[in-house]
Amino acid sequence: MTSSAEAPSWSRSSARQTTWIAGLLTVVLAALVVPPLIFLLQGSLIIAGAPNEATRWGLENFQNVLGGRRFVGTALNTLVFAAGSAVIALVVGWIMAWIVERTNAPLKGLAYVTAIISLGTPYILYVSAWLLVFGKAGPVNQLYRTLTGSTDVLINIYSMPGMVLVEGFLWSPLAFLLVGATLRNANPELEEAARVSGAGVWGTIRRITMRLSLPAIMALSMLVFIRAIEAFEVPALVGLPGRISVLTTDIYTNMMARAPPDLGGSSALSVLMLLLVLVLLYIYARLSRHAERFATITGKGFRPRPFDLGRLRYVAAVILVVDFVLLLLVPMLMLAWISLLPFFAPVSAASFKLLSLNNYRTVLASDHLELMINTMLVAVATATSAVVLTFFAAWLAVRRAPGGWLVERLATIPLVFPGLVLGVAVMQVFLRLPIPLYGTIGILIWAFVISYLPYGMRYSSSGMLQIHRELEEAAAVCGASALTRLRRIVAPLLAPALVAGWLFIFLMATRVLSLAILLAGPRSQTMAVAMFDLWGNGQGTELAALGLMWSMLMAMIAVAFYVMARRSAAGALGRA
Amino acid sequence: MGDRCSSAVIASAMAAAALLGCGPAHAIDAAVIDAAKREGEVVWYSTQIINQLVRPIAAAFEKKYPGIKVRYTRANANEVAVKILNESRAGRPQSDVFDGTSSVVPLKQEGYVLQWQPEAAKDYPDIYKDRQGYWVASNIYINTPGYNTSLVPKGSEPHTYQDLLDPRWKGKMAWNALPSASGGLGFVGTVLAEMGERDGMAYLRAFSKQRVANVAAAAREVLDQVIAGEYAIGLQIFNHHAVISAKKGAPVDWIKMEPATGTLSVISIHKNAPHPNAAKLLVDFIISKEGQQVYRDADYLTADPAVPARDPSLKPEDGHFRVRFFPPETIEDNVPKWKQVFDDLFG
Repeated sequence: MTSSAEAPSWSRSSARQTTWIAGLLTVVLAALVVPPLIFLLQGSLIIAGAPNEATRWGLENFQNVLGGRRFVGTALNTLVFAAGSAVIALVVGWIMAWIVERTNAPLKGLAYVTAIISLGTPYILYVSAWLLVFGKAGPVNQLYRTLTGSTDVLINIYSMPGMVLVEGFLWSPLAFLLVGATLRNANPELEEAARVSGAGVWGTIRRITMRLSLPAIMALSMLVFIRAIEAFEVPALVGLPGRISVLTTDIYTNMMARAPPDLGGSSALSVLMLLLVLVLLYIYARLSRHAERFATITGKGFRPRPFDLGRLRYVAAVILVVDFVLLLLVPMLMLAWISLLPFFAPVSAASFKLLSLNNYRTVLASDHLELMINTMLVAVATATSAVVLTFFAAWLAVRRAPGGWLVERLATIPLVFPGLVLGVAVMQVFLRLPIPLYGTIGILIWAFVISYLPYGMRYSSSGMLQIHRELEEAAAVCGASALTRLRRIVAPLLAPALVAGWLFIFLMATRVLSLAILLAGPRSQTMAVAMFDLWGNGQGTELAALGLMWSMLMAMIAVAFYVMARRSAAGALGRA
Repeated sequence: MGDRCSSAVIASAMAAAALLGCGPAHAIDAAVIDAAKREGEVVWYSTQIINQLVRPIAAAFEKKYPGIKVRYTRANANEVAVKILNESRAGRPQSDVFDGTSSVVPLKQEGYVLQWQPEAAKDYPDIYKDRQGYWVASNIYINTPGYNTSLVPKGSEPHTYQDLLDPRWKGKMAWNALPSASGGLGFVGTVLAEMGERDGMAYLRAFSKQRVANVAAAAREVLDQVIAGEYAIGLQIFNHHAVISAKKGAPVDWIKMEPATGTLSVISIHKNAPHPNAAKLLVDFIISKEGQQVYRDADYLTADPAVPARDPSLKPEDGHFRVRFFPPETIEDNVPKWKQVFDDLFG
């Protein structure tokens, strides 16, 4: 590195290393993603005949999806539901993230508590809690009837707005964590310059802050929109009783009417979603072609400073409190209420005498230790592997390295996989492999990594877009290899996004139900099995007790991890 | 097989005996027990509740046959079928014994089910066991309406299918809308089977005006919503669930609406079971009086007529009510048709 004649050699060896990374990563991602992808495409084209009849190939599955009963109505419902959920998740998540990361509002901790605990709560409990709060017999409508003497309801949760709100709220922690990670690294000088030039708070947010978080907003819209189109649980639990059907309600009930389930319809819908994802990725790629626009971490140092809201900071604090009350306190209080009861009783004076700690005693007396250890192992391994893989993938994609295009697509495709399709595909892979992993937690981790790659990818690449390549170029000139640059420069700067992504995947992986049950062997049972057991058993009150304790435990682990990671990241960024 | 067809008979005589009415029932002898002990374990893919039933059965079995460990997984019937099919097609069956209400049918069609019934099954009614020996019922499910006794005072609940057409129940009933016999599909099937195609369809068309809420969750959750007061009446709920909850003080009771829908939880052995002898031993145990008593103690409705339910009135023979039973093959054959009717009228 002493003479200029040697310069090409470092650049060549660095490029060689990049090629190696790209090659290795492509192989790993392809091994993960391609088998379920083939299975999905095949499933969408196979037409199951009557039992005992041979199957054949054809396009009927697509016809059934696109030409089903009342197609126009259900398709419209689906679009409204998916777009509405994405908007709710984004608006709630973005506002919370902005207040927490960019302002001097008090009570910021509340937003983290809300996001982490609600992410760690099994969603069936969370959705049920909402239904019990706002249902016909719930306290809200009861209070309304008592006050007005009416026999009607004030809020009909079994409606489109009900579905949109519940689904949107379910996804808002994802938005909060992802936007938060990018806003933390936003250079405040741009905002300050805008303020100095006479822009108001709103003008600054609109023209500077929001534009800078555009990649994160795009990424989120894609994640939530696609997942909401393929969602079945909320439309089933909230929409169906109100006779609102979406595309998946028909598809899933048809699928489950057969044993083994007919995967044709849901595979066909997923293939259509896959096309949409590829279009969205194309738009995303065009947007990030000018990645420098979003890069706020450059060679010039900065210190993120909070935005002084003046008196408005109390308004911001009120918003944080409302978010906390609505998204966390209300459902959790409902769950706590149920967990103290012997059966689902409405909130009333008469029910108070039924309260006891019996459910907690039963849960604590049952031996879940092995299941807990398995779940923790699966969640930690899943989150770590997904974050490591997508860290490299995002770097290759954002830096437009050879192969970056491919790894970005490979890591995003699993977004469209329906749970059952993924489960069966992974099952078949491991049944055919000579390695004895079938029936162990290894296969669970394998399947979970696949399903969380798209989330890890969005966390990593939103963060990566903010890091200007000049930092790496400087290091490269000084002789740093690709791996050294990744380790010494990119990883520490990307830490907030990686930590947020890890946290999200970890919490999601601890609460997955159906995939975990499908793939669990007699020796690889997880908490999902225990929860499913209580749920199917009608021990919903006991499940509430277990769920509450479990999500508190997960939240404590997540907070401990978060504090630790944030400290070390702060150290790397030279912040106090 | 008992004394009449002792274990010493030669193969051809056994076949003849089977034709003569001995059926496929087999006695467990010392050789099977020894072989099972050498196998050391038995794997049960169950759709039953682990805490309530699977674990107690495993404990009782392991106590009776020390050295044979019962390993188990639990999932919904669909998932159990997916697992067994995939494992079997790949030539790596993992399960020895499995249960469910109808998933045995596709597995039988692909040749993965052993034709074998334990001797104890000979005391079971014919409807509770397969003539070809593919399955035998371990317990039965009875689906009837249940109601919230604070919203519907006892005595004013509907008693017949005609009563359900009363406008006062409009918008106050719910059922499980997932494709399952313990839901709207079972209701459709029972009405069609009972009233015949023409009258049945006329009844269902009239009934569709009652706007039953489609809850896409298991019958147990429908009942929970009834208990919570969301709906006055839950259709096709499991009668023993209502009794269990009522015992805890919940305002709920079930209605002996005739005919009730009956389904069977049947148990079978995998044809290529990795532990074939232990599998036979486990099924034999479950069907025996000893095993049935474990089912009873877990509040299940035992298939063995000689072992009454904990609340005997829950079973048709002791509670004196009529049930229309749908064995696995009938469910499997009729679900597409029931679903079509359900989607057209109630979807």
